[in-house]
Amino acid sequence: MENKNNYWRGLEELNNDPTFLQNKKKEFNEGIPLEEVLTENDGDLSSNRRDFLKYFGFSISAVALASCNKAPVKNVIPYIIKPENITPGIPNFYASTCGSCSASCSILVKTREGRPIKIEGNEESPLFKGGVCATGHAGLLDLYDNERLRAPKAEGNDVDWNTLDAKVKDGLSKSKNIRIVSGTVNSPSTKKAIAEFTAKYPNSKHLSYEAASLSSMIEANNKSFGKAVIPGYHFEKANVIVSFGADFLGTWISPVEYTKQWVTNRKVSNDKRAMSRHIQFESNLSLTGSNADVRIPIKPSAEGVALISLYNKIAALAGAPVLSGAQNVEFAVNMIDNSAKELWNAKGSSLVVSGSNNLDHQLLVNAINSLLGNYGSTIDLDNYSNQHQANDAAFEAFVAEMNNGGVDAVIFYNSNPAYSYYNAKKFEDGLKKVALTVTTSASVDETGALCKFHAPDHHFLESWNDAEPKIGYFGLTQPTISPVFKTRQAQESFLRWADNSTEYYDFIQNNWKTTILSGVGIFETIWNKSLHDGFYIVAEKSASKYTVSSLPSEAVNPSYSAYTSSKEKLEINLYSKVGVGDGTHANNPWLQELPDPISKVCWDNYATIGKVTADNFKLKDGDIIKITTKAGTIEKVPVLVQPGQANNTISIALGYGRTTGKVSKNVGRNVYPIVTFNNSTFNYISGDVAIEKTGNHYQLPQTQTHHTIEGRSLIREASLNEYIKDSKAGNHEKAHMITLWAERDSKGHKWGMAIDMNACTGCGSCVVSCSAENNVPVVGRKEILNAREMHWIRIDRYYSFKDKNGKKTTKEKEYDKAETGADFENVKVTFQPVMCQQCGHAPCETVCPVLATVHSSEGLNQMAYNRCVGTRYCANNCPYKVRRFNWFKYRENDDFDFNFNNDLGRMVINPDVTVRSRGVMEKCSFCIQRIQAGKLKAKLESREMVDGDVKTACQQSCPANAIVFGDMFDPNSEISKLQDNDRSYVMLEEYDVKPSVSYFTKIRNVNEEVAGEFKGESEHEAPKAEHTEHHS
Amino acid sequence: MRIIKLSSILFFLVFAVNFVFADVAEGEKLFKANCTSCHAINEKIVGPALKDAHKRRKEDWLLKWIKNSPGMIQSGDPIAVQLFNDNNKIPMLPFLSLKDSEIKSIISYIKQESEAPAKTVTAAADQTTASVTTNQPKGFYRNTTLFMLLGLALFLVIIVFVLLRIKKSVNELYAIKHPEKAAAELQEKTSEYKRTLNYKLFKKHPVVGVSFIVMGFVIVLGLIGFDYGNKVVGVQKGYMPTQPIKYSHQLHAGTYKINCQYCHSGADKSKQATVPSASTCMNCHMHVTASAKYNGNVSPEIQKIYDAVGWDANKKAYDPSKTQTPIKWVRVHNLPDHAYFNHAQHVKIGKVECQACHGPVETMQVVSQQRSLQMGWCINCHREAKVDVANNDYYVKLHAELKKEGKSSITVAQNGGTECGKCHY
Repeated sequence: MENKNNYWRGLEELNNDPTFLQNKKKEFNEGIPLEEVLTENDGDLSSNRRDFLKYFGFSISAVALASCNKAPVKNVIPYIIKPENITPGIPNFYASTCGSCSASCSILVKTREGRPIKIEGNEESPLFKGGVCATGHAGLLDLYDNERLRAPKAEGNDVDWNTLDAKVKDGLSKSKNIRIVSGTVNSPSTKKAIAEFTAKYPNSKHLSYEAASLSSMIEANNKSFGKAVIPGYHFEKANVIVSFGADFLGTWISPVEYTKQWVTNRKVSNDKRAMSRHIQFESNLSLTGSNADVRIPIKPSAEGVALISLYNKIAALAGAPVLSGAQNVEFAVNMIDNSAKELWNAKGSSLVVSGSNNLDHQLLVNAINSLLGNYGSTIDLDNYSNQHQANDAAFEAFVAEMNNGGVDAVIFYNSNPAYSYYNAKKFEDGLKKVALTVTTSASVDETGALCKFHAPDHHFLESWNDAEPKIGYFGLTQPTISPVFKTRQAQESFLRWADNSTEYYDFIQNNWKTTILSGVGIFETIWNKSLHDGFYIVAEKSASKYTVSSLPSEAVNPSYSAYTSSKEKLEINLYSKVGVGDGTHANNPWLQELPDPISKVCWDNYATIGKVTADNFKLKDGDIIKITTKAGTIEKVPVLVQPGQANNTISIALGYGRTTGKVSKNVGRNVYPIVTFNNSTFNYISGDVAIEKTGNHYQLPQTQTHHTIEGRSLIREASLNEYIKDSKAGNHEKAHMITLWAERDSKGHKWGMAIDMNACTGCGSCVVSCSAENNVPVVGRKEILNAREMHWIRIDRYYSFKDKNGKKTTKEKEYDKAETGADFENVKVTFQPVMCQQCGHAPCETVCPVLATVHSSEGLNQMAYNRCVGTRYCANNCPYKVRRFNWFKYRENDDFDFNFNNDLGRMVINPDVTVRSRGVMEKCSFCIQRIQAGKLKAKLESREMVDGDVKTACQQSCPANAIVFGDMFDPNSEISKLQDNDRSYVMLEEYDVKPSVSYFTKIRNVNEEVAGEFKGESEHEAPKAEHTEHHS
Repeated sequence: MRIIKLSSILFFLVFAVNFVFADVAEGEKLFKANCTSCHAINEKIVGPALKDAHKRRKEDWLLKWIKNSPGMIQSGDPIAVQLFNDNNKIPMLPFLSLKDSEIKSIISYIKQESEAPAKTVTAAADQTTASVTTNQPKGFYRNTTLFMLLGLALFLVIIVFVLLRIKKSVNELYAIKHPEKAAAELQEKTSEYKRTLNYKLFKKHPVVGVSFIVMGFVIVLGLIGFDYGNKVVGVQKGYMPTQPIKYSHQLHAGTYKINCQYCHSGADKSKQATVPSASTCMNCHMHVTASAKYNGNVSPEIQKIYDAVGWDANKKAYDPSKTQTPIKWVRVHNLPDHAYFNHAQHVKIGKVECQACHGPVETMQVVSQQRSLQMGWCINCHREAKVDVANNDYYVKLHAELKKEGKSSITVAQNGGTECGKCHY
């Protein structure tokens, strides 16, 4: 038998928790919420005679009214002057640059009748290659947030821009010390606009502040090489990657760019049986760690020691001087040894990164990379990144200055320190001493609430802008909708206050004319092409080699003392979650609803604690604890026992516990107060943590345990060595096929999908993309707890233990509890996106009493909402549990205040997809609207369809290229070429429901065996040739 | 006999006149199709008034001019240059496709119109009023037959009533005259009565009888209800809302034969056929004001377009001080949100005539919904319509397969056109 039954979705499944066992027997978590449904619109369920008469009277009059056959009058309101390139009913795509974070990915914005309805990746961009992350997709919904400011405000009153400008300018002219506090600004024209401002007011200073800062990297590079920048990385050139807590696939610097790079070296095929090796040292199980081949859980305080040991091992191999003062510590010796050897063997094509904001650590990383000769190949300091520019020390000095009364005007642009600065009180007190406070934030955030003047900025989809995320790569942002409210671009505000009346569009053009595009040809031609493409590229500089000249010996002692002093003590580290990130986008319902890739918890943050530590403190999932560090106390944090978490560590996500925003308010706990400032940078880890059980309990909204898939062979995997020997490794199992059904006859097209589990990182981009494309409602925390999430695509996350041989692996009911908890630190993780499998012999179709779900001749399992009567038989009969039931009318119900219950929010709706009503079933349709549109396009152009005409929403922007979709009847399509791949298998093959979605075996670059030997079990064995002969 | 004679003479006359003026009729058609956007007989629009044009210019010159006026201007023809300068240097479009005979018939139309002064407008107006009365009989006359039948029914009911009264009186008289006979007969009647179905059902087993009646009611009402639900609820056939502008498709699409897609320009490329923007109307109505009909004033309906776009009819220019207000047309053809319909698919690829779904729009003063637009109606067409596999390369494979099978055509339904997912997603 191969690696069947080794996977589990959570500790409750592994431990056969009694409640879990009881729950999993139930098809749905709860009974029918009759009461809720009945009281959805008004008061109470109990009714009296008068109510009866009221309802009776109402129904009579309703029937009478209905029979009058008066449909509501619908208007058609055409344009007065039709814009030449807008035809109602035909989408327009505009190339732009994502403004959701400072990574500034190139995107395409799909608009219909002049309103953006979808963000897609720009496939022509050589840097981002068509990928968009979950946060980028969700940026669209922020545009339609009805909490955005509708007009500028002065001292609490709505004013017009002229009044505001006059007041602000008056204040500025009186000020002696002006400060502009912004997030990272990587836009050359914005910088120039701010420069105009500072030229007008010479006593002003611009400083960058970020909530989750990488300030120490910049400083370290300055110290090591004299370049105060964040380098450019080339994960595609790295054969061995060692990451110390850098979540480069999830949240670190430029995750889409890095995922695209990383995955090129992770995809294997029969022709290319090689992949990079990825080793991750970290304390909390991050997205990147869960995708690593080898993951070594370490305490945050051990990172310095680990780096020193690694440096010394490599130095020994290289014959270079070692760091003196290094004591012997019995710390993960084997792994450090192995990593050093592997890195050394791949010198020049290896890469070591660290996500720590500790200067010493970054200096050590630089020294290691320098020893390995990675500068100039995998690390590029010449074509460096502009994506993070914060300077923590400068901001710290600014807060002190405010408190000393040394600042009399401050403008906040794209930053919210009142929420994310660790000492909010000190910041607030300081701000009170500032005479003129202005913010450009689009809605009233925590900082905005303290400011006197609000000059609301456009959303990035309404703005002109440019960006230079990496040296030589210039992105352009263009507006895709007229401003919804009376807002103004922050850049234009800066210009107006500097008495410059230029429109920002002209300002950018002039800036490009004189700098970027000066002397390269006819300006208009290049400008128009860049605007059309969304980016402009200046030829890359050749990356030169850099070496660290002086050893970072000053890092040795602090690292050792940090390690020894907190040895047996509890430590905490604060991390950013995929989606919500540093909290800037916490008010976005799509991101709150996106389950965390690892924990599968939505709408909350929590303290993740390893199994052993949790047992020591007698903590279970949902126990509420109080956490005390030297910096402060965080009250009421729920516990989540997280496999993979390093022992004696706690991790909590930043970005929650906002106090403003209808969606983000009071969701989770704000942990910024326990951030500390030392050694010129913000520090996101603390040793010596005390926790206290409060005795209270809280249920975390988690999607992972909503469906259970008993011990079936859903995940197949093999090690690279096994795969090299046998391309079918891990994928030998074949089911006997007996079917009652006749073969279906398909004509024209047959749509199919293939998912490469080696590529999928589980980042969740597809989930948000799908929600935007298919009008999937947001249901909120309470409904998630009721297991009524509506996502059409989910990413299943499975854990398994490191070793596959017998004992330590877990069969559903045979988990050996005597095993040490150390195993829980070393779980392997597999991600598997699951959407409707579009079965050829779909079990849902046969049970539908009203033929609401039927098969199409193109192999699709169609769902006709207007036929569905909501029996939910289909959901019961679906073996993949991908059908979703509409328990409420989410679009019209104010209990679901997630932007879709108001007219502005509803502008995000894709007009080509029906908005489902209460009481009907829905599911993934393979983006049938896109299929139909692709076919129509081919017909209108009178040509055959070609591969790539139709891309599903999940596939289009996948940063890892994990999803392939296409016509299986087209011999030239990628999908039809993949069909007979040796790694390909379908889920639950033994049911013979003939799914159209196939999965590819996960290959891990590990030394131990993964798949194991295939012995062939009789009941699952493929029918042998002689059997057939015998019978015939 | 006299009548026959007279009518035959009349008939002959009409025929002869028709024969003689055949080219005039042809000319009128051509004139309206090609010239009216810039010319009128009695007033200057963009180009000059054409009254007596045949007298002003020679036929040869006119032929050349109409075919290629820019060429004549370039070649330096003095009259042509003069004309060009007199008309604000707006060149007349060349009509190279018109044959000499066609131009001649236009000229003879102009000739006729010139001789019958200022009649055109009123004639057109008469025509419109006439068509209103014939198309939509109003008030009492529309229901004449119904009223007559109702009257007749009432009359018959009265007769039946009177006859019944007479019969009752006669019976009473009979009973007074022959009491014994009457009693015996009554006796007999009751015993006979006991044998009737009526007695058995309603007197002896009332439940059965009542059940029958109730069932009958249920069936009848159910059928009526089903029929009602099927044909009336949500079906807006005949829906004819009042539009904010009294725009006549009969005039534009019928009389002037403007192509449907000139205004509904999305029909062959988009999901929506699109209602034209007001700027599209202005392409013609910048010049066409129908002022002749309104004593030199702009027609009040056309004025509504001007108000929408902010056009000053006197200055013949857009007035930036006027606010632009979009026109709120009322949607006539509504499909429910869960049904996806794409015009391009049907108009461009399926080559379905607009009239197939919208009815004879070119004859409608006010547009109304002519078809039920129900799913059954859609499906019927999908079952009958053939896919044009030969002329669209999208169907190359399907066409080859069909050829192999020896079939010449395939219906939309056979190609999956009745599957749910084609319209519902």
